[in-house]
Amino acid sequence: MRPNPKRFRLFPAAVGLIAAVSVLAAAVPAAAQEAGKYHTYAEMTGLLQSLAGAHKDIARLASIGKTAGGRDLWVLEIANPAGIPVRERPALLIAANFEADHVVGSEIALAVADALLKGYPGDAEIKSRLDGSVVYIIPRLNPDGAEGMFAAVKSGLRTNLAPRDDDNDGRLDEDGPQDLNQDGFVTLMRVKAADGEYMIDPDELRLMKKADPKKGEAGAYKIYWEGVDRDKDGFIAEDPAGGTDLNRNFMHAYPYYKPDSGPYMVSENESRALMAWTIAHRNVAAVLTFGESDNLIAPPAGGRPGASREIDLVRFAEAANAAARTVGMIRTGGAFGFRRFGGREFSAEMMGEFMRQGRRQTQTPAEEGRRFRMPDRKAPTAVLPADQDYFRTIAAKYAELTGLRQPLYVREPEGAFYQYGYFQFGVPSFSTPGFGLAGRDSAGPRQRGTAPGAAGEGGLPGVAQWRQETASGEAAPVRIPAGAQARMQMIQAGGAGQAGGPRMGQGAGDAASAGIDKQLLKWMDSEKIDGFVKWTKFAHPDLGEVEIGGFKPYAAANPPAARIAELGASHLKFVLYLTSLFPRVKIASTEVTNHGGGIYRIRAEVENVGILPTALSQAVTARAIKPVMVQLGVAPEDIVSGSAKTNFIPSLDGSGGRTKYEWIIRGKSGAVIELKAAAEKGGSDTARVTLK
Amino acid sequence: MRTLIKNRREMRTSIKILAALLFGALVTAVVPSGALAQKASDPAFKVKLDFDRWHDVPELYADMAKLQAAFPKFLKLQSIGKSFDGRDLMVMTINNPDTGPETGKAAMYIEANVHGNEIQGAEVCLYTIWYLMENYGRVDDVTRLVNERVFYIIPTVNPDGRQYFMEGPGGNARSGHVPVDDDNDGLVDEDGPEDINGNGIVEQIRMYVPGKGDYRISRLNPNIMEPVPFGETGDYILLGSEGIDNDGDGLVNEDGPGSYDPNRNWAADWQPDYVQRGAMDYPFQLPEARAVNDFLMAHPNIAGVQSYHNSGGMILRGPGAEAVGEYPMSDVRFYDELGQNGERILPFYRYLVIWSGLYTVHGGFIDWTNDGLGIPSFSNELWNGGQYFASPELKEQQKDPESPIAPNISRYYFDKYLEFGDEFVPWKPFDHPQYGKVEMGGVWKKFQGRVPPRFMSEELCHRNMAFSLYQADEMPMIKMGGTSVEKLGGGVYKVFVDITNPKLVPTIMARAAQNNVVRPDILTLDGKNVEVISAGFIDDREVYKVKPSVIEAIDQKDLKRILVRNGYPGKTTRTLVYLLKGSGGVTVTYDSVKGGKAAKAIALQ
Repeated sequence: MRPNPKRFRLFPAAVGLIAAVSVLAAAVPAAAQEAGKYHTYAEMTGLLQSLAGAHKDIARLASIGKTAGGRDLWVLEIANPAGIPVRERPALLIAANFEADHVVGSEIALAVADALLKGYPGDAEIKSRLDGSVVYIIPRLNPDGAEGMFAAVKSGLRTNLAPRDDDNDGRLDEDGPQDLNQDGFVTLMRVKAADGEYMIDPDELRLMKKADPKKGEAGAYKIYWEGVDRDKDGFIAEDPAGGTDLNRNFMHAYPYYKPDSGPYMVSENESRALMAWTIAHRNVAAVLTFGESDNLIAPPAGGRPGASREIDLVRFAEAANAAARTVGMIRTGGAFGFRRFGGREFSAEMMGEFMRQGRRQTQTPAEEGRRFRMPDRKAPTAVLPADQDYFRTIAAKYAELTGLRQPLYVREPEGAFYQYGYFQFGVPSFSTPGFGLAGRDSAGPRQRGTAPGAAGEGGLPGVAQWRQETASGEAAPVRIPAGAQARMQMIQAGGAGQAGGPRMGQGAGDAASAGIDKQLLKWMDSEKIDGFVKWTKFAHPDLGEVEIGGFKPYAAANPPAARIAELGASHLKFVLYLTSLFPRVKIASTEVTNHGGGIYRIRAEVENVGILPTALSQAVTARAIKPVMVQLGVAPEDIVSGSAKTNFIPSLDGSGGRTKYEWIIRGKSGAVIELKAAAEKGGSDTARVTLK
Repeated sequence: MRTLIKNRREMRTSIKILAALLFGALVTAVVPSGALAQKASDPAFKVKLDFDRWHDVPELYADMAKLQAAFPKFLKLQSIGKSFDGRDLMVMTINNPDTGPETGKAAMYIEANVHGNEIQGAEVCLYTIWYLMENYGRVDDVTRLVNERVFYIIPTVNPDGRQYFMEGPGGNARSGHVPVDDDNDGLVDEDGPEDINGNGIVEQIRMYVPGKGDYRISRLNPNIMEPVPFGETGDYILLGSEGIDNDGDGLVNEDGPGSYDPNRNWAADWQPDYVQRGAMDYPFQLPEARAVNDFLMAHPNIAGVQSYHNSGGMILRGPGAEAVGEYPMSDVRFYDELGQNGERILPFYRYLVIWSGLYTVHGGFIDWTNDGLGIPSFSNELWNGGQYFASPELKEQQKDPESPIAPNISRYYFDKYLEFGDEFVPWKPFDHPQYGKVEMGGVWKKFQGRVPPRFMSEELCHRNMAFSLYQADEMPMIKMGGTSVEKLGGGVYKVFVDITNPKLVPTIMARAAQNNVVRPDILTLDGKNVEVISAGFIDDREVYKVKPSVIEAIDQKDLKRILVRNGYPGKTTRTLVYLLKGSGGVTVTYDSVKGGKAAKAIALQ
């Protein structure tokens, strides 16, 4: 950032302000005592180790695994271990920096860790949380990728660094972007071309837009990533180093067979380590992730994932390489290469014959139709209506505590970890970019299917919801590439219901929503963030005269370091709020009646005194959470009638939800019987009754 | 003497017999016994294994080691990883090093026993290795197959489950041994089945309560218990299965080892447990699945997969779920041909698609190998009860409900006459620790039902092997054919190269090409002084001579390294046409991950 001469005149006032702020900061637990900074892996590791060392009584640092690059995936466990064993307490998992370029999430997580540790035991709220529950913080899930923010050339890559042949051309990571003009950034190149699709945006000359021939606009530019075609395949930077996008590598709504989603679900060291850790910590009762999707700042109506807010310039560059994964579909010429069918001219009749023959063994149901087939169960894709209230309430509180109303860059989740957290792990699960705008941008991009401004606000919820639901289920408009290659692809794809096939040509600009480029620039300009490289001429070795420019990597996804402290403070408040909601199972009352003859009646009531239920509706549907167990400590044969020895309740509502039990048992006077109630996410409680 | 030899004929016979015995004794003393046996009998086997018994894991591995020791040139035995309990997963590689390294040839992958109780596939695998080695050099087609291809054979991918099945009463063995809390009580695997009377079988328990029970002995067969109709009473009550309430929770045998389904933990269409029971928490969470997948991904030359299961008599292919979508037409076509031939090789087996012919399977193994790894894959369900009474006449008889081989009692008939009652466990009195005087029994031994009768095992092995060898033979194989050069003047040449895949299976399946899960075939032209002006494929040279427009130019930037992303179809010859400028010689190479590599040198003149 260029120094602003005006600052010097404000200097004396600034000093006074800083003094005042420092006094306040001392009274309130500050997030990150040092001035906010973005930490390299080495710096973060040092910070974590010193925090854990300085607060040995309540902090434990461990590694959950190693990346392909050999870096550790750190988890910090923060709890006062005295009392109920930590593993039996409800836990909050905070995880950040899945997308390599979303480093601010890592910093907010570190700031929260710092504040929790330093606030114990002085701050009463923090003390209460760390005595009764536990907070796990994994500040950086993608340390290999995140290190790119500190490299000499900043490329803004989002994936990890496990090698991957992104364009599947038999060469590995052979063509990545290059900093041709040596300004330390990988940005974009625009090249004048008669058949270019793009034009300079007349409303904002720094930006580009897709020319609309219907409006008489003529495209004049092509847009590429900054670099040269290293492998001479006609594409630039189509196969950079790495990798897999970790927030595309998990099991809910997993995007199959895309280059950045990995060879298969949970394929990466990082994802595997997180999964193994998560299922070994089933006391995790809520998940808060920092990432590039959002269900807290501007949660969509209807429980579906929100629409994306993409950057058009980036999408245009990515579109230039989209064809790299389909180059090489060779048409054989003739009847699909099946010479044994006689090498005849292709005919409609032959096509019909092929279709019928192909179908013989396939779509027909079981023989004679006699066998009953269980209807195929499908996983839900939207937050269940019964759970939506919790999400709405929590999101509203988040908005109140952070003041955030509008995220900037946000993308649709597909295979994101937080979605696994809700749909399969069964707990309230959130994702937020962690920063954004304080005011809703009414001129912003539409949410899919809804009119601007109507999304989730004053608009009729019924109508907005309906539109969301019909729009969300559909695939983005399929752009059919022209020509023989396309015909070949379609025919080869063949078969009825191409449900398993790929989505072709989900290109930039023809999705329903426009990009947020203008909003980004407005934000950068108003915050004096130097986040855009002005277009400058450059002599490209192959393309001739080009202009290099565009958004600086990391600038759209990360605010300036100076903001980290305040983000840490507001998110600490949110963490304290979230951890106050945990379910808590308690044995509310017990009563023993002696009926004589060695027969006793034991009555008990078990209650959930927390706010959240012991299991959300989705958790019950998904059988993701063990039912609450209520068990009487007697031999089964001693129970004469009434409840069973071991009872299970799928879920106990919060705020005093209760169940009652009654056992009639045979016992000896004076015997002490233990009654146990245990919830996977709500702790446990034991009561002892004496038979008398 | 007079009375011993009644007549001259008898005496001559007696003398002949005596002479033969003497001769035999002489010869046996002089000639080594092996040579004598080989004189007119079929050739003896080098390694004696038996296929009419079921083998536990140690014996299976010992047999594999025996084979490897007997045929060290062709066989390599290795572990690909460890099961949950720490047992090795052993793979046998069959390759003839004289005809090239493994990686250059298409490989057939055969495995079995992912469900621990589905045991006979391991015997099929063992038989396959044994048969190929014993007949190499003796049967031409076997020799050719072993020379041309590679085989990776893993007889058991769930040794924990197999051993649990073989050692114990046989229940609960479908799963592996990763602990799962089946009854949600916070303890894992704490209450499995027990064999109280020590006979190796978990039996049913009945109690004789004359006139007061709700079960009676069936009139059709004294071994069967049936519930009484409404309004009547019987002489028996059933008290469940043998077992003890280990954890004192009032339930018996509710949480044994496992249980999950090791064939639902694969990464294609993997679904969480509530959509697909037994799928565990994420794909390749199970150590066995991970080891197998790591092996498959490290061997991209695998172009055929067979996973043996039981039972039902089926030759299955994916998709496992309707929503995954039917395979593209060109893939269905070769699957159909393989499957239909399979039905002829395996009578009583039907070629079916999993979701429509069997039931929905999410996250199954062959869905993963087909969709995620691009390998044509089958899963055979071995053994079909219809094979008990195999002829059309007997099938007719079975339609009569009074017939002794009517379907509900046919296996009792078979057991009695063919297995001499070996498989059924009759009711016997027992003094139960909890219930008192009862009878236990009334069940089939664990080998009855899903597993063939022992005496029918070798045929099952041979026929299933034959189907897999047929599939292996039809894996892709790229060959270069004839070439010709047309001199056009000015240093420009037109070069024609015939390229053939004579096998049924394409080098890359259509779905695999769409999904980009297989490295494309790469066509390279090497030539020091040569530049490529254009390149294209044509179907027929003669047609091209008359109609040059049939050529479609390949639109790629680097024509010296052409990607053929959709691979080479099966049973196809095409001609590659290059327009070159330069001089000297060129080498054209077609490199396919699953179809091998072929090259041709051409001089430009």
